[in-house]
Amino acid sequence: MTEHRDVATGPPDEYVEAEVHRLLTEDPDVAEQGITVVRRERGLMLYGEVESPHRREEILRRVAERFPDVPITIDIGVIRAQAPTEIEQLP
Amino acid sequence: MVIRIAAVGDVHLDEDVVGRFRPALDELPEHADALLLAGDLTRHGTEAEARCVATEFGGLGVPVVTVLGNHDHQCDQVPQVVKVLEDAGITVLEGDGVVLDCAGGRLGVAGVKGFGGGFAGRCASDFGEPEMKAFVRTTTQSADALSAALRGLDCDVRVALTHYSPVPDTLAGEPLEIYPFLGSYQLGQAIDSAPTALALHGHAHAGTERGTTPGGVRVRNVAHPVIKQAYSVFHLGDNLGHAQVSGVGGSGIQQSWS
Repeated sequence: MTEHRDVATGPPDEYVEAEVHRLLTEDPDVAEQGITVVRRERGLMLYGEVESPHRREEILRRVAERFPDVPITIDIGVIRAQAPTEIEQLP
Repeated sequence: MVIRIAAVGDVHLDEDVVGRFRPALDELPEHADALLLAGDLTRHGTEAEARCVATEFGGLGVPVVTVLGNHDHQCDQVPQVVKVLEDAGITVLEGDGVVLDCAGGRLGVAGVKGFGGGFAGRCASDFGEPEMKAFVRTTTQSADALSAALRGLDCDVRVALTHYSPVPDTLAGEPLEIYPFLGSYQLGQAIDSAPTALALHGHAHAGTERGTTPGGVRVRNVAHPVIKQAYSVFHLGDNLGHAQVSGVGGSGIQQSWS
């Protein structure tokens, strides 16, 4: 799922990138260490995978609350949890 | 003689995830002799989240063995988390091991959470400020405990289970700058100190599946975001031909490999 938010207001600086990255881990409502934050020309891009759609929505909500002026693009998937179809054989 | 091991790490259970793994887990006893969990079972390490883990991974019909991860330490409720897991029949390892009697032989699993520090030539040293020395000594103690636990196992096949990575190979895909927070070479050294057949770890969500220790032990990163399925299944045996080494069954896990 890709979501766009806000209008471009210029590239966010490195400190915003660092703050968003730390918020993703340290905010108890998010607590994700596996999300990558990339600074792009038109704002921040967040990508990675989480365990539920609810967690993806929480990431967007919390980041938007904390940084209302930063354009954010989110491309975060929910990890598949199906049974494996293959094995690995090791001697 | 074949021992079948299922493994996954970093499932980060909370109420919103309960039930997602269960359909695949209900099939697991047909395909594996044991399930090994490579830490980060929870989001914040609360007792309530541990109960979610117990619901999802308890009562499977095969032994379940786990180590904790860094997330499982977040709320400082480790004793409560361990108790909930153990009450659900899940064996929690930290510097110790367990031997499971499987149809194909005795499977020995030794486990620690492990810790960071980095890899040979690019690692933290036991030097300087107390905080730095404490950091490195935490890693060293963990690795020493893993080595002792592995060497103490009386079994046919040894598996090392950690949360942090023992090698950089399985971190490929992660930013190089954070490797020292993802694992440490001392864990690999511990694994190489015993005749270990397989090392399983998690923690590196953007890493890759396969690697080896300097001593040649196969390492697999089974973090859920890496394997992208409920669990991976490994068949460990001593009678597979070279052509079959590290091969992958082509038509499903029901396939007979022999």
